[in-house]
Amino acid sequence: MKKINIVFCLLTFFMATGLMAQTRIVPAPAQDKPILLRGATVHVGNGQVFQNGIVAFDKGKITAVGGANTSVPNQSSYEVIDVSGKHIYPGLITLGSSLGLVEVGNVRATRDQVETGEYNPNIRSIIAYNTDSELIPTFRHNGILLAQSTPAGGTIAGTSSVVQLDAWNWEDAAYHVDDAIHMSWPTKEFGPRWWLGETNNRPNPNYGNTVQGIENLFSEAKTYNQIGGKDAVNLKLEAMQGLFDGSKGLFINSSDARSMISAVKMARNSGVKRIVINGGYEALLIKDFLKNEGIPVILNGIHSVPRRDHEDTVLPFKMAKELYDAGIEVLISGGGGYSARNLPFQAGTAVAYGLPYEEAIKAITSGPAKALGIEDRVGTLERGKDAMIIVSKGDLLDMRTSQVEHAFISGRKIQVDARQQWLYKKYSEKYGHDINNK
Amino acid sequence: MYLYGHLIYFISKDLENPIKKIISDFFLNFQKMYVPIKLNRMRNLLFVFLILYVCSPIYLIAQETFPINDVQDTRTKAYAFTNATIFTSYNTKLEGATLLIRDGKVENVGTSIRVPAGYATVDLGGKYIYPSFIDMYTNYGVAEPKRQGGGGGAEQIQSKTKGAYNGNEAIKSEVNASEKFVVNSRAAKAWRDMGFGTVLSYHKDGLARGTSALVTLGNGTENEVMLHHKVANHFSFNKGTSRQNYPSSLMGYIALLRQTYLDADWYTKNKDRSFTDLSLEAWLANQSLPQIFEANSWHNVLRADKLGSEFGVQYIMRSGGDSYKRVDAIKNSGAALIVPLNYPAAYDVDDPIDAYKVSYANMKHWELAPTNLAHLEKNGITFALTVDGLNRKSDFLKNLRTAISHGLSEETALKALTETPANLLKMSDVLGKLDKGMVANFVITSGNIFESDATIYENWIQGQKYQINDMDAMDLSGKYILAVNGENYDLEISGKPGRQKAKIVLNDTTDISVKMSLSDDMLTLNFKPNPKDKKSGMVSLTGWLAGENINGRGQLGNGQWTDFVATFSEKKEDKSDRMSRKGGDSKPEVGDILYPFSAYGNKTLPEQEKILVKNATVWTMEDDTKILENTDVLLENGKIARIGKNLRARDARVIDGTGKHLTPGIIDEHSHVAAAGINDRAANSSMVRIGDVINSEHQGIYRALSGGVTAIQILHGSANPIGGQSALIKLRWGQTPEKLKIENADGYIKFALGENVKRTSNPSSIRFPQTRMGVEQVFVDAFQSARDYEKKWQTYNALSASEKENATPPRKDLAMETMLEILNKERFISCHSYVQSEINMLMKVAEQFDFRVNTFTHILEGYKVADKMREHGVGASTFSDWWSYKWEVRYAIPYNSAIMMREGVVTAINSDSGELMRRLNQEAAKGVKYGDLDPFEALKMATINPAKLLHLDDQTGSIKVGKDADVVLWSDNPLSIYARAEKTIVDGTVYFDMDKDQQMKKEIEQDRARLIAKMRSAKAGGSRTRPASASYYHEWECDHVHVYQGH
Repeated sequence: MKKINIVFCLLTFFMATGLMAQTRIVPAPAQDKPILLRGATVHVGNGQVFQNGIVAFDKGKITAVGGANTSVPNQSSYEVIDVSGKHIYPGLITLGSSLGLVEVGNVRATRDQVETGEYNPNIRSIIAYNTDSELIPTFRHNGILLAQSTPAGGTIAGTSSVVQLDAWNWEDAAYHVDDAIHMSWPTKEFGPRWWLGETNNRPNPNYGNTVQGIENLFSEAKTYNQIGGKDAVNLKLEAMQGLFDGSKGLFINSSDARSMISAVKMARNSGVKRIVINGGYEALLIKDFLKNEGIPVILNGIHSVPRRDHEDTVLPFKMAKELYDAGIEVLISGGGGYSARNLPFQAGTAVAYGLPYEEAIKAITSGPAKALGIEDRVGTLERGKDAMIIVSKGDLLDMRTSQVEHAFISGRKIQVDARQQWLYKKYSEKYGHDINNK
Repeated sequence: MYLYGHLIYFISKDLENPIKKIISDFFLNFQKMYVPIKLNRMRNLLFVFLILYVCSPIYLIAQETFPINDVQDTRTKAYAFTNATIFTSYNTKLEGATLLIRDGKVENVGTSIRVPAGYATVDLGGKYIYPSFIDMYTNYGVAEPKRQGGGGGAEQIQSKTKGAYNGNEAIKSEVNASEKFVVNSRAAKAWRDMGFGTVLSYHKDGLARGTSALVTLGNGTENEVMLHHKVANHFSFNKGTSRQNYPSSLMGYIALLRQTYLDADWYTKNKDRSFTDLSLEAWLANQSLPQIFEANSWHNVLRADKLGSEFGVQYIMRSGGDSYKRVDAIKNSGAALIVPLNYPAAYDVDDPIDAYKVSYANMKHWELAPTNLAHLEKNGITFALTVDGLNRKSDFLKNLRTAISHGLSEETALKALTETPANLLKMSDVLGKLDKGMVANFVITSGNIFESDATIYENWIQGQKYQINDMDAMDLSGKYILAVNGENYDLEISGKPGRQKAKIVLNDTTDISVKMSLSDDMLTLNFKPNPKDKKSGMVSLTGWLAGENINGRGQLGNGQWTDFVATFSEKKEDKSDRMSRKGGDSKPEVGDILYPFSAYGNKTLPEQEKILVKNATVWTMEDDTKILENTDVLLENGKIARIGKNLRARDARVIDGTGKHLTPGIIDEHSHVAAAGINDRAANSSMVRIGDVINSEHQGIYRALSGGVTAIQILHGSANPIGGQSALIKLRWGQTPEKLKIENADGYIKFALGENVKRTSNPSSIRFPQTRMGVEQVFVDAFQSARDYEKKWQTYNALSASEKENATPPRKDLAMETMLEILNKERFISCHSYVQSEINMLMKVAEQFDFRVNTFTHILEGYKVADKMREHGVGASTFSDWWSYKWEVRYAIPYNSAIMMREGVVTAINSDSGELMRRLNQEAAKGVKYGDLDPFEALKMATINPAKLLHLDDQTGSIKVGKDADVVLWSDNPLSIYARAEKTIVDGTVYFDMDKDQQMKKEIEQDRARLIAKMRSAKAGGSRTRPASASYYHEWECDHVHVYQGH
């Protein structure tokens, strides 16, 4: 057995030299010919599913989606890829990501996510977004094609942008610039300092002042354009103008029930058009409020333990279902760090605990697109939208079957393998493991 | 004597401390010498008299050595208290009795005693006399040193204590509280007002704190009030002011105390006495005293008791108020307790969202804490009481009465305040009772002191009266018609004598407040006749009792003088008294105690069952049987009894496994749940043991069960190259810490490499090592030293018995002992590791010393040296897909596990996280996604492979007849994201059941609603509350370090 393996390995080694050559990532060129994917289960991203369906796209736009008999104009000009038995989804979108801003969490030199200061609406993530971050290909590998690259820290962290994950530079990556401002509503209590042996929260003595500061900022931002004869341009207030015409969303980081209410009311009163809650751990306590206000909630910690001892043993797993049942729009995010590549499995866990499957898909595709204000361009597999498409060998949400075989960003067929895959091959070859025939 | 005492006090201020000490030492030793004599000759009346007359004015003897700047002024003080109800001891109550005291001692007590001539007689008219209480856990008069704040910075490796003391700053056995003690009359008064007469005072600093002194709460000189200067020897789990690097964790404290016991023993055997250690000298000298350990919680009582048992020491424990949670285990420890009455305040739960944040366990403790003493009494546990631990000391009696209303008997309460502390301190010959010859410490009360309306009038200490409430205070309560300058007012005086208040009633709803003060038999009244008129002046009256009425003279607002009369009209009923009596009669209803005391704890512990799982897909995890479809498995007597088709078993509980999957329990090689801290900080911390600090109450255990986990290794953290010893436990939710441990499991130890051990996160760290080069030398040095250590012992052990007599044995060093266990293949290494260079290095070090590394844990670059690992014979326990969170995991790839598996390395997937451990089956499944592993091989990484790495594969980790019945029933393929653990079974006992879990959730919701209602009514009833804030249990990770402070 061993001998056969060695011979086999030598063979694969020679065959693999071609693979070895491709140890670099090159952003894909624009789509130069129309492509038709055929035979797969098509998850449109709006709840609709086509068994044995097709997806066709040309010049970066989707031209047809539907069942097997869907007619595609000029079908003969299309390159047909048979993806029978596989699953097609819209490219996944991850919200509140540190992608391109943080490379190695504990190395200060590689961190560009947290600016100093309390109110930084004028801080923009897009100009720091590093298209050569080695985390990017690991996201693509699991089907994530768009990310909201998001600043953090302070009360107003800054302005995020939506990037597509196959680019030469940040201008190239920019898919939707300055989509939202990110605000952390203060908490009335600070968590215990475990390293001092504390187990109880401490009151936040500055809560009132911080809230007052936020309210002042928003009211002054709102009147900023109405005041004539200003002495100076205020970059912070300028940056906030988009909140009032809807071109920028306001993402509120909050997990505390009362803080969510305060923050949403403040934002509404100030005339903010698009409001999203990020975190929302206690959203179930105020579900009617959130439903009536029509505020979507991003769950960014499905894989976490309950925060209170008396809660359901699997509350974070169930939360998506319970919010959905309450009529609240649920979005799922992979969270801030490297592990957001597990976004499909966070959605999978939500399904395991009761969220309908297609709702889970919506929560990582069309839902985020809407929250980002780009639902007219992306998020579902519908004619006329940008061709952000992934093909998985099986169910994308289950790690047993989740294998992204093809990914298209605006119709461009992108590489889904990178250094991690190359290292896999490199060392498998070193040991003579047969992995290419699998 | 009192004035005389003051004189001496001032004189003694000028004396140098050492002289004072010699004087007091001499005197106190003298006193102690007499005590046994006195007891032995008790029956001989002549001797008793002799002793009374020769020895009893001991406090005067003390003064004799002091210079006098006057003529001699010694006075004999003798009192008789007649017609009293006297508790001469906690269980002896004499009615109509007389107490004679003379010169600070009890001269006689009984019912038919003639009062000798010359005694000042006080007729108590039925009032009660109790022996004054004893608080045997205070730092009265001994200042508590404060720990310097701030963390981080350069580590302090050596002790900063100056002098010939122990190498560890937290060992302060040389300290004698008596040498630091100064009388603090203000603090003394607070204790006296609650009925205390004597306290034991210790110095609150260090793990070994030295000796305590027994002092009365009198206002005399230090020399007078100190009854004995070395009474008990004290320990704690709080290193206090020490900022020395090691130890910093609870397990480190235990390890240091353990080592110090050994060092002290070795010190006595050290023939050539090559050095002097005054701390060890004192440690040894103080072993014959009562040993008191400040444990502060039931967990720590058991931990301290285990430590004491290793050295034949039975500690008296300063416990927490939580012993009821595990009262059986506390009873089995055999320890006597010193118990605080620190009941938590109710949470302010008026707001439902606030209420939601409050921990269920904390809510339950609020309700059950007052039952603690009743549980102790019921279980026959000996205990004393202490004021220590109360935020408001003055709550003591109120809280004690609450304990009585919750089932504690008054007799036991009194015993815990008198005879028990006297016995525990070996001072029962002078304290705790009112027998002839004992110190005259007693309180006079209006009646039964345990009833809420009792008033303490006087507290006599060493024969000296301290008035708390005036026994003869005028009782003016009643309604009066107050006539002043032609106006009549309805004056009401209410309250108990000595604490009376006055008001003027205008109508049903409006009163005018009256400031009233009484002194001797004069009374002063001040009020504003027309409070709304700000300009109107104050009426001020001063009066005296004239029969039932009050006559007097006063001044009006305008300054005009006038006479006044308050004519008594009727007695006023005191409503408050009647109310409080009514409340105290019935025992309140309380909820169940949970095991463990945590949300989702059990009301009764689940029991082992005979279970037949029918028709399941059985993942046996054995290579010859692999996955069996439609198969039955019988669990009996905690073992897997049979595997097959169509099995039948009488009396078995049948579980339908159709469409479900049965797997062995998930095993986590790398976990930090269920431990009270996981890192100590010495570069070689091999002497610390996680097994000393298991926390059986951590909900992480239950949550892990909900993810199918049945066994884990609780590893020490990764702050040091050589970390502490692991504990291997099964998740027997509800059992006590010792019962979680896997019997006969092999010993393990954590090693670590790389960024954490270099203290990368602390830029000012100076601790060796700071580089990977240094890390290697720590290992080489430790193993080489262990070999040298072994040689020393071999040489010594080879000596003949007579040669040994004259030789000094080598010092037993627990760190070296552990290193030797590794070298002798009796303890196995699990090494935190990331990059290939360091992995390779440790294998080479092990080979140099002729042993093998057992496991590389985390090992994210294992794929680069998998062939070398296979050759070395080491296993791997890795993360599925973690990377990028630190520099050294830059080249981590999710294919790592698959490559190592293919290369023949026994590979497991670990969690290092209380969250991830619930999903290890799915983490293993990532081997299918990333490395294309066969599903059966993938599941091995969460079952049989970790069992192999922990040397448990002969008893668990696969479904095989004869192995432990540790299995999980899944709703779906166990590798699927959709799989949920429906039942998790450990040793044939169902510790997690999805349906029961949902049932418990409902019960918790109902019980919380009940408790919230109870808290709201407590608040409405005037109870103090605290804000409803969340509390957290910190979820430990590898590099979390904190300094344990004895909570």
